[in-house]
Amino acid sequence: MEIIGQAFLQLLTPQVMLIMLGASAYGLAMGAIPGLSASMAVALVIPIAFFLDPVPALAGVVTLAAMAIFAGDLPGALLRIPGTPASAAYVDDSYLMVRKGQGGLALGLCVICSAIGGVVGALVLMGAAPAIARIALQFSSYEKFWLACLGLTAAVAVSGGKWYKGGISLMLGLAIAQVGLDPVSGQLRLTFGNGNLVGGLAFIPVLIGMFAIPEVLRYALAPREIAPPPIQALGNLLSGVGSTLRRLKGDVVQGSVVGVVIGAIPGAGADIAAYISYAISKRFSKVGDQYGKGVPDALVAATTSNNAAVGGAMIPATVFGIPGDSLTAIIIGVFFLKGLNPGPTIFIENALLINTVFMAFLIANILMVPLGLLATSAFQRMIRVPRYMLMPAVLAFCIIGAFAVENTHFAVVTMLILGLVAFVMEKYQYPLAPAILGLVLGPMLEETFLNSLIRARGDVFAFVERPLSMGLAALTLVICVTPVVMFIWGKARGARTA
Amino acid sequence: MKSVNLFGAGIVLAVSLAALMPAMAQEWPDRPITLIAPAGAGGGTDATARLLALGLEQQLGQPVNVVNQGQGGGVVGFTSITTAEPDGYTLGVIYNFAHYSPMGQGDFDAADMTPIGQFNFDPAGFHVRTESEWANITEALDAIKADPGAYDIACGGGCGGSWPLAFASLLDAYDVDLSQVRMISGQGAAAALQEMVAGGFDVVPSSVPEAGSLIESGLVRGLAVFGSERLEAFPDIPTLEEETGMVLELGAWRGLVGPAGLPEEVTAKLAAALEAVYNDPEFQSAMTDRGFGLRWRDAADFGTFMAEEETSVRELVRVLGL
Repeated sequence: MEIIGQAFLQLLTPQVMLIMLGASAYGLAMGAIPGLSASMAVALVIPIAFFLDPVPALAGVVTLAAMAIFAGDLPGALLRIPGTPASAAYVDDSYLMVRKGQGGLALGLCVICSAIGGVVGALVLMGAAPAIARIALQFSSYEKFWLACLGLTAAVAVSGGKWYKGGISLMLGLAIAQVGLDPVSGQLRLTFGNGNLVGGLAFIPVLIGMFAIPEVLRYALAPREIAPPPIQALGNLLSGVGSTLRRLKGDVVQGSVVGVVIGAIPGAGADIAAYISYAISKRFSKVGDQYGKGVPDALVAATTSNNAAVGGAMIPATVFGIPGDSLTAIIIGVFFLKGLNPGPTIFIENALLINTVFMAFLIANILMVPLGLLATSAFQRMIRVPRYMLMPAVLAFCIIGAFAVENTHFAVVTMLILGLVAFVMEKYQYPLAPAILGLVLGPMLEETFLNSLIRARGDVFAFVERPLSMGLAALTLVICVTPVVMFIWGKARGARTA
Repeated sequence: MKSVNLFGAGIVLAVSLAALMPAMAQEWPDRPITLIAPAGAGGGTDATARLLALGLEQQLGQPVNVVNQGQGGGVVGFTSITTAEPDGYTLGVIYNFAHYSPMGQGDFDAADMTPIGQFNFDPAGFHVRTESEWANITEALDAIKADPGAYDIACGGGCGGSWPLAFASLLDAYDVDLSQVRMISGQGAAAALQEMVAGGFDVVPSSVPEAGSLIESGLVRGLAVFGSERLEAFPDIPTLEEETGMVLELGAWRGLVGPAGLPEEVTAKLAAALEAVYNDPEFQSAMTDRGFGLRWRDAADFGTFMAEEETSVRELVRVLGL
């Protein structure tokens, strides 16, 4: 406990406080601009971090990461452009709530739940990192394959409407994920001899294009000013949040646990965590059929989960030097740069410094409440801008964002074409979220499946030989089979009573 | 007022003349330089590129902007470097690339680049699980030679990458039947090491610092490092030469290049700037702190090295059937 106090004192210098505030502002701005991801924001400050002392440098970097992930919710809710893939699961809900005039509640929930998830992630990181890391390390490609399958079942939850349309959308996402180099053999697929397609269709441009472009096109085809939803005063942002959270406290707990656990498994991450939390929440919600149409219940678990996953991903990274995703990889790079080498002895040899860094991460997540609310009240003015000005600006943002993240002109073409595809899909009521889920899970599913098969020399039973993989397989099967059994049973009962 | 107008007109004239003058007439560099890293933000190539950019900025007096193009395992970035205008304003930090062309993934080779200098080399390490039955590298190599198909070897990323090819070169030198060896690709060395600890792989060739934390925690052992001397940070891991008597230097390298046909005066100026950056103690400590090895080859040596590696890698890719 004493070391926690010392760690806290390390942060209480004017220099560290100023750097954390600066990093917060920078992180919020970068995260809120579509296409500028948290990873990019951190990579850009590495040359600056190089000249700082270890404590301010590391505190600044973890603050920046926490803020940027949260800020990805803002353009999603306000413009329907998810700032990060992790925000895509619930973008329709938050966007529709803003349009319905419930913007204060939607954004307030995003801020508070992100902060709660982040704080839980930080506390687990400080308290139980070595123990959890050992478990996370035991996930082999068999377990990860089942985890990806489990993620695919979430497609049902994010579909809404006709089940087969959700299925077609999911298949489209999986097909898009196949473009480019085969992850196992390195063969080219679906590139049609086009060099631009070798690297596959870039994820962020696809994401931006599919969600934002249909909105722009719909407006362009039928320009119609709608009364802009009211701006909420800073104080009002929180009204209703308290009672909603009291009502949905189970979702907050679920999101935190799922986020930390999925985040800690290398190769999974915040986006998969958000989808799984969303699916679980919908399954047990009384208003499950309203999910995807703009209900507060849909937001809570998923937005808690993606922030909890950031802390979760730091667990195997600090204990074993194995980063769970690209953002964590960059943060670990800064750790190395500052002589804080990850390893199990980090908590003994560098106890003060690592606890200081975790403490900074914890404080950053608490700071997220006031700073996030300030940023929210600033950014929400965007929705008051008349749509004839807003829509061209959204289009411009999409183009800049797509280019900025990939540094290729082809990314802009990708973004526009997928935008057209999504426009047609939505016109015929095909949901977009399953396609994004397919895009997230496709590479993981394919790689873990093929590599496992190669290793098992084609023996499919190897997929259920390990206790952990058997458990995950059983869980996946139960989730898939239960609805069918229930349906048949219901039919049979119906027939008997008739 | 008139004099002011004339003065203004003079400026306009001067500016438009400057714009009309061909870039070559002026002293290179007179505008910012783009440094392409054929890798995503956050990886090793990105980190070294950013350190290098910082040093080159001080040497050349112009901003050097790092642009990440990691798509297609780097193919997109390499294509941008090799097809750029050879005016000295687009340069690239490159690494082992010779496998892309024979594997049909990319259409560029050493002749498409102007070498400026190599600044980094990281020897590959031979990593196994702690419980592995092999006590040293000789036992491991003998076992693999006796039954090449019995072991699962991780490529880290794609099987044409630096680490798997270093490993394949070693097996080749040890007369192992490469066509039988099972090499499995994945999502990078860190993921492969984790998979090995979970029971997945028998061997993971990678840089030693990448496995450092797992070695320290007693979950992974390093049997040998493929360099000429032991690594300062890992003094317990013997070199290949000590253990087997084979003199091989295998691993990943990084260097600075421009597109083919860079003007000679630009190359000379760049080579001098790069050498100055390399010899700067601040750059050296930044590289070693981050776990990157230092290795210098000047433009001529670097060019010869790239050409030699191209020949040997083509042969390996053919034998491995990649």
